[in-house]
Amino acid sequence: MADITKQQIGAFLGKQGILIAFFAFLIGFTIANPKFLTPDNVLSVIRSSAILGVMALGVTFVVISGNLDLSVGSMMSFSTIVVLDLHDKIGPALAIPAMFAMTLALGAFIGFLVGRLKLNSLIVTLGMLSAIHGLTLTYSGGKNMDIADKEGTWFSVFGQGEALGLPVPILMFVAVAAFLGLVLSKTSFGRKVYAVGGNSTAATFSGIPRARTVFICYLISAACAATAGLIQASRSLGSQNTVGQGLELEVLAAVILGGASLLGGSGTIFKTVIGVLILGFIQNGLLLIGLQFYVQFIVTWVIIILAVWLDIAAKRGKLWSQIA
Amino acid sequence: MKLRTTLIASTAIVLAGAASAETMKIGITQNNVGVDSYQTTYERAFIAAAEENADVDAVVLDAGGDVARQIAQIEDLIQQDVDAIIIWPTNGEAVIPAVRKAHQAGIPVVVTNSNIAEAGFDFVNSFSGPDNITQGARSAEIMCDKFKDMGIESEAQVVHITGQPGYTTAIERAKGFEDRLPEVCPDVTIVDTQPGDWNREKSQQVMEAFLVKYADIDGVYAGDDNMGVGALNAAKAAGREGIIFVGATNFAVGYEAMAAGDYWGSIYQSPVDDAEAALQTALDILAGEELPFLNYFDTPKITQDNMGDYTKPVF
Repeated sequence: MADITKQQIGAFLGKQGILIAFFAFLIGFTIANPKFLTPDNVLSVIRSSAILGVMALGVTFVVISGNLDLSVGSMMSFSTIVVLDLHDKIGPALAIPAMFAMTLALGAFIGFLVGRLKLNSLIVTLGMLSAIHGLTLTYSGGKNMDIADKEGTWFSVFGQGEALGLPVPILMFVAVAAFLGLVLSKTSFGRKVYAVGGNSTAATFSGIPRARTVFICYLISAACAATAGLIQASRSLGSQNTVGQGLELEVLAAVILGGASLLGGSGTIFKTVIGVLILGFIQNGLLLIGLQFYVQFIVTWVIIILAVWLDIAAKRGKLWSQIA
Repeated sequence: MKLRTTLIASTAIVLAGAASAETMKIGITQNNVGVDSYQTTYERAFIAAAEENADVDAVVLDAGGDVARQIAQIEDLIQQDVDAIIIWPTNGEAVIPAVRKAHQAGIPVVVTNSNIAEAGFDFVNSFSGPDNITQGARSAEIMCDKFKDMGIESEAQVVHITGQPGYTTAIERAKGFEDRLPEVCPDVTIVDTQPGDWNREKSQQVMEAFLVKYADIDGVYAGDDNMGVGALNAAKAAGREGIIFVGATNFAVGYEAMAAGDYWGSIYQSPVDDAEAALQTALDILAGEELPFLNYFDTPKITQDNMGDYTKPVF
């Protein structure tokens, strides 16, 4: 009986190593600065992380399907600028669906290139990273985009509003995570995503439509980038063209930190959420500790490596492998 | 057919006329037009100023943020034998060899907006741009004066949000502010400094952490208005009132926040002045005038009190 319990604990630890690492950091930062775990701070970190988080949810699908999406940062800038521009031209009620349609078209284009034409996703999305940035700059003429009447628009609800006592960005993050979590774990489409990423050839011979599955993964990723852009635009009601620049790597870091394999076939929405929160809390924790910022870059790297190590150590039940 | 011939003939006359007058061919290679509103407006203003002056024939180029492209553009301009080259460096170190080439070819070089590294000063005739150390110092004075008005100059606590670490502009503004503040307000303390990377969203996150960490914040100095407004958004969301926000490079959003009474002051730096100063510096050099090596254009203080004297920035 005792043995079984021990095994069960071992299995749990092995599965949830990243969660353990997460709680270890929370405790560490709280000891360093007791204000770290106050409700205000926790809510503000999760709210800030929601933008990165929503993007990471979509990229999780792409990564599990065995591909990459480096275009999400540019895509988020694009949707932010477009929705802000259209807000004053056609009103928020029309601007939001128009922005989603335009961003989804970009996602569909990438999905077509990677899914149907079978082009390498790294090259395609790296190219789209700069192409979409160029598109955004062309669209805006290089100008910052700002909503004229910042006080009198209901558009601010997505980024600044509250419902059920929680900031709306958090609620949106949770809702999208719950929905996509269900899609990934409970639907046949979700199983197809794992199958295509795990072994594309075997999936094809089993009658799984690889091209369509990959295509839909990129649509999901684009929809998530558009949602992130919506939150971003609503949060500051104005934006630079470069607002999402560099986020693609943070997004990818969060997804990989959560345990999804770059080779495809593994990963879950829940673990991506943990990966996102780890990144968000590290950034905030280092600020609260007040480390000099030049040092912060290095410490961030150390913490990420520690997290990955703890995750792997938990999986094999030992801190280091005997057959290294 | 006849019409066309006439047209060609008259064009030729115009060209010949232009060539016989003292036309000065001035080439400019810019850093990265279109990446932000400042640079976009700068380019427009430069072209407008060049067109207004009948004696100027401008070759306007943009390096797109790429050092290699900028070096190639400088070499092209040397080949075209322009009368002067204006450079907005993409990188203060890497352009030096190309600048030296222009210098050796006998073409005067003006550096605009952001200076190149000191090793290249011998090859440059003049630097035309804002004095970022003075800007930082002026922001400190704006903040100190306001604290004195409020009677809190003996106890006020300030947080400082800087531009991207490693950028000359960020370093100089921070230095100007941090050196000047203790001179004018010796009892005000800067409790924390963190970078906002010129990014509104990043700055908002930094300010959120500051608000959690410090129960008492009286002033925020941000390296530009974009970041200042990000910090303001964070304070508003947290319901913290009475904080004095001071920025630099007055942006339209900063100007509006000032008009709304939420944002106290900034430094008025016009890309139009910047562009016109660069062209004028080049023309003055060609006219044989003696110029200071650091030929700064003025960037005045702007606060809620005197903002009526300035038009809203277009960027």
